[in-house]
Amino acid sequence: MKILKVKNLSVQSKKDKKEILHKVSLEVAPGTLHILIGPNGSGKSTLAYALMGIDRFKVTSGEIVFAGKEITKLSVTARARAGLTLSFQEPAYFEGVTVEDFLKIGRPHIKLEEMEKYLSLVGLDPEKILQRKLDQSLSGGERKRIELASVISMRPKLMILDEPDSGLDIIFYREFYNILQNIKEEIGAAILLITHREEPGFIADEATFLNQGEVICRGNFREVMQKYCQAVNRKKICPHVQ
Amino acid sequence: MFSKLPTPFIESARQCSFELEELRRIKAPYLYVVSNKTTAFSQVPGVIIKTQDLKEGVKLKLVIKKGIKIKKPIFLCFGVLSGKGKQEIFPEIILEEGAEATILAHCTFPRAKEVLHRMTAKINLKKNARLVYREKHYHGKDFGVKVLANFNIVVEEGAVLENEFVLNQGSVGKLDIVFVAELAKDSLVQVFTRIIGKGQKDRVEVKDKILLNGENSRSLMKFKGAIRGGGQMFFRGEMLAKGKNARGHVDCKEIIVGKSIARSIPMIEVQHPEARITHEASVGKVNQKELETLMTRGLSSKKATDFIISGAIK
Repeated sequence: MKILKVKNLSVQSKKDKKEILHKVSLEVAPGTLHILIGPNGSGKSTLAYALMGIDRFKVTSGEIVFAGKEITKLSVTARARAGLTLSFQEPAYFEGVTVEDFLKIGRPHIKLEEMEKYLSLVGLDPEKILQRKLDQSLSGGERKRIELASVISMRPKLMILDEPDSGLDIIFYREFYNILQNIKEEIGAAILLITHREEPGFIADEATFLNQGEVICRGNFREVMQKYCQAVNRKKICPHVQ
Repeated sequence: MFSKLPTPFIESARQCSFELEELRRIKAPYLYVVSNKTTAFSQVPGVIIKTQDLKEGVKLKLVIKKGIKIKKPIFLCFGVLSGKGKQEIFPEIILEEGAEATILAHCTFPRAKEVLHRMTAKINLKKNARLVYREKHYHGKDFGVKVLANFNIVVEEGAVLENEFVLNQGSVGKLDIVFVAELAKDSLVQVFTRIIGKGQKDRVEVKDKILLNGENSRSLMKFKGAIRGGGQMFFRGEMLAKGKNARGHVDCKEIIVGKSIARSIPMIEVQHPEARITHEASVGKVNQKELETLMTRGLSSKKATDFIISGAIK
C-alpha cells in the first residue's frame, strides 16, 4: 500500500484562476524518500500546498489519497492530524514564541528528552536553542533546522519538505542530506522532498520530474535526473548523472 | 497575606500570572482596596502609606523615603467584587531621592456587569529614584467594565521608570488610558502596554505622551494589541523631544481579527537639533504564513490565531 496516491490532480490558483498543475499523478511508499524535481515555476511548491490543502489553491479535478483515505476535501488541520505535514521553503518567524513552544504545537505533551533528541538530529544544540525566540535573531539555517525538528516532532506518516536545502551553505549540503536520511530511519516517516539539487540522489528511493505543471517522468532518481538535466540543459551542474 | 482578599481576586491574580506563592513566601508588602474600602495594608520601614476612604473610592499616598531601596515587590490590589459598582482611586506615589521600588498592581472586576473604575494617579520620581510599576487588569468575561485611567508622571534627573500595563485575560469592556510623563535630564522611561480585546463591545483607547524635556533623557514606548470579534482599538503614542541629545522610540503593533478596527497614530516631534526620535507601527491581520504553518502542525485556524496573538502580545 502507498502512503500517498495522487491521481490526475489538476490545481488552479484561487487568485487568478490560472491552472498550475495538470493531471499530476504521484505515489509515495511508506518510509521512503521521494524526490520531486523540476525547474522554477514547474509547480512543485503548488503541488506541496495542494497536497497539504493550503487555501490559496483549488483542486479542480483528481484526488489525493493519504494512508488509504481520500483527503482531497479535508482542511489543512485535518490533514495534519491524519499524519501529513509540510515544512515551508521560507519558514515563518514567530514573535514571542520559543523554540520549545513551537516544537510542542504538533504534540503538546511531547517530552523534553524527545525534543532534545530531534533538535540534535537536525544538528542543533538543544541547550542553546530550546529557549531561543523564533524571531529574526535566528539565522536562516537555524530556522530551517528548527522547522525540520518541528515537523519531526509531530511524528508524521509523511513529511513534505519544500526545498529545505535552499539557501544553505554549500559545505552543509551533504551533512544536511545525512540528516534527512537519519530522520527517515529514526521516525520511519516517508519524505516527499522538493529540491533543485542532485546531491540528495544518494538517499532517494524514487523521484518525479515535474515541468510546466505536468509530470514528465518518474522512477529511479538517476534516470529522472538525467531527463531533468537534458530537459533544462543544465549539464554543467549535473556532472554525477551524465 | 491574602486572607483579606476575596477569593475571586486571588483567582484572577493567578490568571494574570502574578506569582502569589512567591509573594507570600517572601512576605511582600501589600495594600488592598475593595470597592471604596482599604481592607488591609502592611507597614514597611522607610515607606509611608496613607489611605483615606471616600464615598466611592480611596485616596492613597505612598511615599518611599530618600535612599530607601525596597527589595521585595509591593503588591497592590484594587477591585470591585459585585456585578455593579463604581470605584475611584486617587493614588499618589512618590519615590524620594535615590529610592527604589517595584510595584505590582492588580485591578480586578471578576463579576462585572456594569462597573466603573476610575484611576487618577500621580507619580513623582525624585532625583535618581527607580520604579518598576507593573499593572495587570482582569475585567471578567462580560464586557461590563469601564476603566478610565489617568497617569501623570514626573521623572526627575537621573530617575528611571519602567511601566507596564497588561490586559490579556477575559474581556476588556471600555478601556481609556491617558499616560503623560515628563522627563528631566538623564532620566529614562519605558512604557509597555499589552492588550487583547475579544469582542464587539471592547473599546480600547490608549494615549501615551512622553515629554523628553531634559538633556540625555530617553524613552521607549511600546504598544502591542490585538482586537477580535468586532471590537475597536486605538493607540496614540506621542513623543516630544526638547532636550539636547534626547532619544526616543515609539513602537506599535496591532493585530486585527475579523471585522474589528484598529488604529495607530505615532506622533513624534523633535525641537532640539541634537535630539532624535524614531517610530515603527504596523496594523493588520494575522500573518498568513504563520497561520498556515501552525495549521500544518495540526492547530485549528482559531487556535493558531490565538497562538500567534499570544506570542506577539508577549
